[in-house]
This record gives sequence, C-alpha cells and structure tokens, in this order.
Amino acid sequence: MQLIIQIAISGLLMGGIYSMVSMGLSLIYGVTGIVNFAHGEFLMVAMFLTWGLNSLLGLDPYISVILVVPLMFLIGMLVEKTVIEPIIKAPHSMQIMATAGLSTVLANGALMLMSANYRSVITGYSSKTLNMAGIMFNVPKLVGFFAAVALTVLLALFLKRTYTGRAITATAQDMKAAQLMGINIKRIYLIAFGLGTACVGVAGVVLMPMYYVFPSLGTYFCTTAFVIVVLGGMGNIYGAFVGGLVIGMVEAFSGYLLAPVYKEVVYFVIFIIILIVKPSGILGRSGRAA
Amino acid sequence: MKKIRVVALFVALILVLTVFATGCGSDDASSGGSDEETIKIGILFPFSGSLAKLGEETYAGVEYAQWEINEAGGINGKQVEFVIADAVDATAAVAEAERLITVEGCKVIVGSYSSSISQAASEVAERNGVIYWETGGVAKSITERGFQYLFRVCPTSAEYGTIAADYTNDEIGPALGVDPKDLKIAIIYEDGAYGVAVSEAAEARAEELGLNVVVSEAYSATATDLSSLVMKVKAAEPDVIWATQYATDLLLFWKQAKELGLTCKAYVGTGGATGTAEFRDAFPAEDTQYVLNVAFASDGSNEAYANGLTEFYAAYEEKNGTPPPSVYTIVGYSGAKVLWQVLEDAGEMDPEKIREAALAIDIPEGSLPTGWGVKFAGPDEENAGQNLRAHNIVDQLQDGELVVLYPEAAKDPDSKLYLPLPYLAG
Repeated sequence: MQLIIQIAISGLLMGGIYSMVSMGLSLIYGVTGIVNFAHGEFLMVAMFLTWGLNSLLGLDPYISVILVVPLMFLIGMLVEKTVIEPIIKAPHSMQIMATAGLSTVLANGALMLMSANYRSVITGYSSKTLNMAGIMFNVPKLVGFFAAVALTVLLALFLKRTYTGRAITATAQDMKAAQLMGINIKRIYLIAFGLGTACVGVAGVVLMPMYYVFPSLGTYFCTTAFVIVVLGGMGNIYGAFVGGLVIGMVEAFSGYLLAPVYKEVVYFVIFIIILIVKPSGILGRSGRAA
Repeated sequence: MKKIRVVALFVALILVLTVFATGCGSDDASSGGSDEETIKIGILFPFSGSLAKLGEETYAGVEYAQWEINEAGGINGKQVEFVIADAVDATAAVAEAERLITVEGCKVIVGSYSSSISQAASEVAERNGVIYWETGGVAKSITERGFQYLFRVCPTSAEYGTIAADYTNDEIGPALGVDPKDLKIAIIYEDGAYGVAVSEAAEARAEELGLNVVVSEAYSATATDLSSLVMKVKAAEPDVIWATQYATDLLLFWKQAKELGLTCKAYVGTGGATGTAEFRDAFPAEDTQYVLNVAFASDGSNEAYANGLTEFYAAYEEKNGTPPPSVYTIVGYSGAKVLWQVLEDAGEMDPEKIREAALAIDIPEGSLPTGWGVKFAGPDEENAGQNLRAHNIVDQLQDGELVVLYPEAAKDPDSKLYLPLPYLAG
C-alpha cells in the first residue's frame, strides 16, 4: 500500500512539473493558433539563464525567478515580433517550419555557446526529501508542484479579472469579433506569446535545482508537453494542468507495473485513444478557447 | 506575397544557420585538393544532440592523433585531412555516411562512439565497399554481421557485462564477506543497442556463475523521471547494482535513488558513464565515493600496462591547454593511431589494400595508451573485424579519483577495493 502511495506521489509531483511546462504551450496555441515547436528550447533557455545567474552572481535558483521570468517574457515578445508576427496568417506548414527551425537554431546555438556539457545547480535543498510516514517527498519537486498550482490560479485570475486578460480570452474565442470590439490583436498576440514563454520560464527555474540543463534538453520535454496539451484540450490552461498530472501518474504507474521502457508506449496509446474518442481533449470544447 | 517572401527568407536564414551551427566541417573538406596530395578520411560522430558530449570527447582524441601525424610528416608523406559529418542519431548517420562516401569520396570512415550510430552507418559503408573504422561503439552485434570492411578497435559490450559479473563473483562478494551466490543483483540498462547488449552479456555470465539476479529492467535514456525504475529496483532490495547508462540518465538515477531511499552495497557502472567528469562534478565527492566503473581504459593505468599513456597526457595538455577530458579521448586517440599504422602499411587509399593491411596487423597487448594490443578477427571468424586484444578495466572512485583495480597488470600494487558504498547505505 505504501508503495502504491509513493508511486502516486512521485507521479503527481512530476506531473506538476509537466503541467507547468505545458501551460505556456497551451496558452500560446489557444490565443495565436501557433503550434510552437520551439517550446522545449525555451525551457532550455530559461534553465541556462537560471544556471548562469547562479554561477555568475551566486543567485539561488528560486530567487532568480524575479529576473528569469521577466527576461523570458521579453524573449517571448521578441520572438513573436520577429518570427511569429510575419507568419501569423501563413499556412500551417509554414508556421511549423518557422517554429521547428527556431527550435533547431536555439538548440544548436546553445551547443555552440555552451557546449554539450550537462550543467546543474547544487543547492542545499537539491536532494532534500521529507519523510512522512515512510512516504518520500522530494523538496524541489514539492515546490514545483505548488508552483504549478499557483501558476494555474494566477493565470486563471489574470485571464478572468484583468482587462488585458479578458482581451486575451476574447481574442482566443473569436479573433475577428475581438478586433471589431476595438482590441488591438497584434498587441494581444505579443502579450500572449510573452506570457506563454514566461510560464515556461517559471518551469525552468523550478526544474533547475533537481534536473540538468544541456542544449538538447528541449526534445526531452517537448513530446510530453504536446501529449499533455492535446490530452487536456488544446488551448485550455486547466486542461494543461490536469493533463500534466494525468501523464505524470500514468508514467509512474506504467513504469512500475509494466516496465520503465513501456511508460512512453502507454501514454502515447492514451494519446491516440483521446484523439479518436474525444479529439478536443478531456476539458476541451470544440474550437479554441483560453 | 510580400509576407511569403519574408517567411521564405527567414526559413532560408534558419537553414543557413543550422548548417553553420551543426556542420562546421564542410570548410575542412573544401580546402583539400586531389586525393593524391592528402589522405581524406570521413569523420562520423554525434556532434550535436544528446550524445554529443562523449562523441566530442572521443573525437578530441582522433583530432589530436591527426595533428600529431601531420606534424610528423603525415602518412607516407601525405597529410591527413578530415571531412566531418554530424550523426545526431541512426537516421542522420545513414544520410551522413552516404554523403561522405558518394559526395566526398571518402574511402575510410572513422566513427562513432554510439553503438546505434555505428550499427547504421557501417551498413552503408559495407554496401559501398568503404572501410568503417569503429573506435568506440561497443554493441557486440556490430561485429556479428560478418562484414568485410568493418574494423573495431575497442572491446565489445560482451566484455563489459562479463567483467561486471566476474568482478562481482571474484572481488565484490569476498570484499563484502558474503558468498557471491547469496548476493542479490539488480541490472538496469538503457533500452538502446548498447544497454541491451551489455546487460544480455552480464545476465548470461551471471547465470554461468550461478549468481542471483533478482531484477533486470530497461528504461529509456531520455526519460525525464526515473522514479518508477528506482521503486522497482528498491522493492527487490539488491546488494549489488549493475548499470549500463549514458550520462543524463545516470545523473538522474543517482539523484532519485537517494531521494527514494534505494539502498545497495555496491554499484557497478558498465560502460564508462560513471567514470566521466560530469558524474564526479555533479555530486560532492562523498556521494560518488566507492562507485565502481567498468571502462575501456583509465588515465590511472600504470605505464607498464598502458604504453604511452603518460606521454599522451602531457603532449595533449601542452597542445590544447587542458588534459584529455576523459578516457574516451584516449580511446579515440588509440583507435586513430592504429588506423594510421594500417594506412601506412596499405600504402594507398584502396579499401582492398587497407583491408589486407588491417587483417595483417599484429600489435602485442599493452602497446596502446589504453593497454590494448591489436589483432583483428578474420572475415571467416566469429566477430569478423573485432580487435581480439582489447580488454576492459575496472576502476573505483576513491575521493573523487578513479583508481584502477582490475586487471592485476594495470593496477597499482597499493590500490584496493573499498566497500560498501556509503551514499546508498540507507
């Protein structure tokens, strides 16, 4: 029994991390309709920033969030302005080429600048675990999980309560109508892309104390993030949160009950079933919505 | 229309940048000239992607060997010229091997560190009658296909697994004061060609010796979470773990094993990831204390066993300002040196002549900086093209240094095995 609980906890905590990585991807798709294949590389960039701030200025990863997240927001906006805006109305194939190309540029750029080394930040709490009645809680993962919950709540409040947030939601629901209501679509796209990138910035910060950063890290997380986004409903941030937890749990249990090799098989089978049975995802409606 | 042009321009820019970032090698190729003046060799390693780290470290040794031979006047008076290809994975390896052969006209390809890449690329070379010179891909299956133009200087996966089992039986059991047959052994391995081959050999040898393997689990080296693997191994309560891993998955496993309270008395890394600087740097020295590592070679082998090792270290450091990054560099260097010898004997860049020269070569054990000799298995023998005089060593991390423990000949007489492992003592 204890074992089952431990597996569930491990899966849930890892799921929180996955949720956070996927949320920005989902938001960007929901609003702009762009499938961002460079999302995993943004995670890598955020982690390198965190690592850099730690090794140069000695900043604790969790404190560096105040610098990394705004930086990622700016990077996101810059990318939107230079890469995404020109192709926002282009055919899908072209958009895919552009974001996939961006991902290659970022990954290989990092390889040139940083070499293929694995870098980690060692902190006092990196390997800390809380032992509650024999169940282990890894501290950085626990922080990650709560950060994922907080991020979901904050994002939801922002989208519901603020003018800009509502404008983003409106744009996601109906771009033309939003435009007719006087919303500056270009600005909304810019903000949404920046916001999505900032979300992955939070994920990068939270991952740094427990994981390693290297140039090809993006691909490790990217496929999982796509599965989660589709599972939760494309463009639905609650969906991304729930989807992340589901995938985390599925991974943990199938890894234990079947074999670690099969865990990817299992969640891709679930992915295909969802595509057949409910293509809009667990929490998805038809059509896009933030 | 204007928008499309902008997009097209951007895509073109991306492509150019990508080629610039990953290729980087084409300029080496263009400077060449006709085949008569230089010896052109295709270089196929993973320079980007997740395998890049150790791919680059192996290549560093090959590159040094090139510099050294060219300084010394080249091979039969001709300078050695490299045409570099980046093989991220098996698919890219096939495409790049084809390019090296058909576009660049290379008669010899040197690769490749990764078994999966080697397996795929050597197929292309064989089909085209081009020599494939493997310095570091260990999967036994690579030389089990009866290829005529394939030569492998390094030992095979079979030996990694066999040594892990033998060493557990002969040394670890006694050191722990336990009958080896009473030890519970867990095997974990990444699910690629390399992990599967090593673990199969280990398991087969364990059975012959009557060792008790309680769990054997594969996992994907690109996994972002290994907690289910850790839990599975933990449930089996092993005394000894044999692990065939790449770099990131080792780091992840090592961290998560501690977090989830896995305990064991000895940890044997079969394949060298446990011997890399990354592993040592990622953890404080007391956390990697007494980890055992089965490897190609060691920088700590004594000079009598590994001829020219000290000299290579000093010369490499003088040229590059840093010592060789890992044993993979020694392996790359040794492999390339043997190739230079073969090419000199062959006299010309004809695959048939090179093949004959390779089969004729006879270097006694202990002649290379890795401690190996060279004698390739003939085309009709089992494991055609395999170097029969390449052997692995076992070393142990002691206070952040790798100390050679096996074989006897390579070992410092004062070194000894220390167990149990403090980090996973529970």
